[in-house]
Amino acid sequence: MVTKTVTVINAQGFHMRPATVFAGEMGKFSSKITLETNGKTVDAKSLMNIIAACIKCGAEVKVSCEGEDEAAALAKAVEMIESGLGEA
Amino acid sequence: MRIVDLLKPEAIRLNQSIADKSEAIERLIALHDSVGNIADKDVFREEILKREGLGSTAVGEGIAIPHAKSGTVTSPGLAAMTAPDGVDYGAPDGKPSDILFMIAAPLDGDLHLEVLSRLMTLLMDEGLRTALKTAKTPEEFLSAIDRMESERFDEPKPEPKQDGYRVLAVTACPTGIAHTYMAAEALEKAGREMNYLLKAETNGSAGAKNVLTAEEIAACDGIIVAADKSVEMSRFDGKPVLSVPVSDGIHKPKELIERIQSGSVPVYHHTGAKAAVTSGQNESFGRKLYKHLMNGVSHMLPFVVAGGIFIALAFLIDTAAGVDPKEAGGAFGTVNSVAAWFKNIGGYAFNFMIPVLAGFIAMSIADRPGLLVGVVGGILATNGATFTDPGAVSTVPSGFLGALLAGFVAGYLVLCVEKLCEKLPRSLEGIKPVLIYPLAGLAIVSVMMCAVNPVMGMINDGMNEGLMKLHDMHLDVLLGAIVAGMMAIDMGGPFNKAAYVFGSTVMLGGALSMADPDVAYSIMAAVMIGGMVPPIAIALSTTFFKNRWTAEERKNGVVNYIMGLSFITEGAIPYAASYPLAVIPSCVVGSAVAGALTILFKCTLMAPHGGIFVFAVVGNWYWYLVALAAGSVVGMLMLALLKKKARVDESNN
Repeated sequence: MVTKTVTVINAQGFHMRPATVFAGEMGKFSSKITLETNGKTVDAKSLMNIIAACIKCGAEVKVSCEGEDEAAALAKAVEMIESGLGEA
Repeated sequence: MRIVDLLKPEAIRLNQSIADKSEAIERLIALHDSVGNIADKDVFREEILKREGLGSTAVGEGIAIPHAKSGTVTSPGLAAMTAPDGVDYGAPDGKPSDILFMIAAPLDGDLHLEVLSRLMTLLMDEGLRTALKTAKTPEEFLSAIDRMESERFDEPKPEPKQDGYRVLAVTACPTGIAHTYMAAEALEKAGREMNYLLKAETNGSAGAKNVLTAEEIAACDGIIVAADKSVEMSRFDGKPVLSVPVSDGIHKPKELIERIQSGSVPVYHHTGAKAAVTSGQNESFGRKLYKHLMNGVSHMLPFVVAGGIFIALAFLIDTAAGVDPKEAGGAFGTVNSVAAWFKNIGGYAFNFMIPVLAGFIAMSIADRPGLLVGVVGGILATNGATFTDPGAVSTVPSGFLGALLAGFVAGYLVLCVEKLCEKLPRSLEGIKPVLIYPLAGLAIVSVMMCAVNPVMGMINDGMNEGLMKLHDMHLDVLLGAIVAGMMAIDMGGPFNKAAYVFGSTVMLGGALSMADPDVAYSIMAAVMIGGMVPPIAIALSTTFFKNRWTAEERKNGVVNYIMGLSFITEGAIPYAASYPLAVIPSCVVGSAVAGALTILFKCTLMAPHGGIFVFAVVGNWYWYLVALAAGSVVGMLMLALLKKKARVDESNN
């Protein structure tokens, strides 16, 4: 399993649109991907899960990937979050 | 922020048929417009459509949450629709959407993110989704969300919970049906909006709800008392208290909270007696029972004392008027007209004793709705009504033991009735305390007491026969001990009654042919002494074993000398009710000793009542006094053994 902690930088955080995009991208990987923030761990492939976690701007998110394509999945997730989920 | 605060029932439309996505959006916007969440429909629609243009807001599982942040949003809010046939909203899972929420958020802040998150957390629950889809009214829809929200987010106070309530409030109005609750709601809502956690206790006609605990009072910044009737204030001693009319609680809750926040509210100092504190969950069941019991006993005491003294005066007056107790018999105390006045008035006060005991026990348990049920239960216990003889013409009362039963059972029954009534529609809220609780309570308690009383009657008959047998067997000393002891068991209940009736029947002699008439008079003497010992034993104990009693109990103890000497056994009831396991056995043993000695000393009595005032007609009266003293001392000593020391905080106040 590989993990990396990143900070959410886009002003609105994981609101619905970026969450939809993010969950959609993560769904393309076969690895199990989770986001850990505020003491909660959620499935990164589930839009509802991500929105329910209420991840705001400035939040530290620990991304964990486990599976065959874990390295690629982690890289993609980190890149998306660090680039402001297409909004920054 | 709670979903149910943002979603008004008027902004919910259920079981709609929606043709397509744009119709759904149009109708949701119309709902926002109708409840005044947005200033300009067209501006808001533009924002919503812009957002939909970036990607559908359908999230799967049949849920769509269109949303927009816009300057035209005047009040953040939600609108909701359900559509059983669903509408194609372009969901990621391709399924039609059948639950739609639209969020209108102002430009600044993270509100829409929080609402979205919260809504999503709730909607992930399949049970809630089903409940929302099957809801028939907006109220049902909202209450399903409310329940889930309370469950998931542990009420609106997840973060401030560690800090506890900052402001407390008590609301009360004279009728206790509407304003009490409106004020509490307004205050709690204002507290939430100001992010200043507030708990409001309602002293309504259904009793105090959401009662403030001692810990909460100790920890809070101040207390708002919005009441048009008196509320229990001693618990607020030393805290800033703001007392205002209940209408202020409804109309200017924020101002009240601000005044508490500002720290300018004067600290309240309570004068007068302290009432029992309400502590939190850490109160044991036994301690609660004791508290209920003491509530009954303390309200009963004045009736016992004043009524008892009036009756004693009546005997004194008849004695002074030169009435011959032997001739007067049962009428002793009412022969002289002044005496009769005292005896009757005293009797009226006295007769309230048992109903008041039962009533206030029940009221302590179930609050105001318990009072009627307890009082009526008590009166049924005193007069011994049964199903076949509701007028209680020829029945046996179950006395104070029956009344204790009535008080406790009544109280808890009313609580059960209240629980059962929770499911009734809110519109019936107003008539619950004035009609439903009293009616149901009365029906239940009367059936119960009519069932209990005949049992007491049978016990009574059985005992009468048993006593006759003892008498036939000439076991007179034992008989004396037993009848005297019985007088002390229940102080007015079936045992007492059986002994007394037996004694006076034997004394009158008509029913029995006696080898030695003095034995019959001795038995009556034993009966009376058995009724005199308990109050005297208790009075002695309060004099010589002060540490066993609270200050109040010691003060009332003095009265018990008069009670005992006047053959008013009931003086012991408050003590017997408070500490039955110590007081009753001690009194029974003391009385039995005195009764046995009475027979041994061949003391006789030819009057059925009157205590020390009829000693003129007691044969061997000096030995009778010795027997009385001996029995009382035995009772006192045994009480000292059985009764633990009073709790320090009680004996010191």
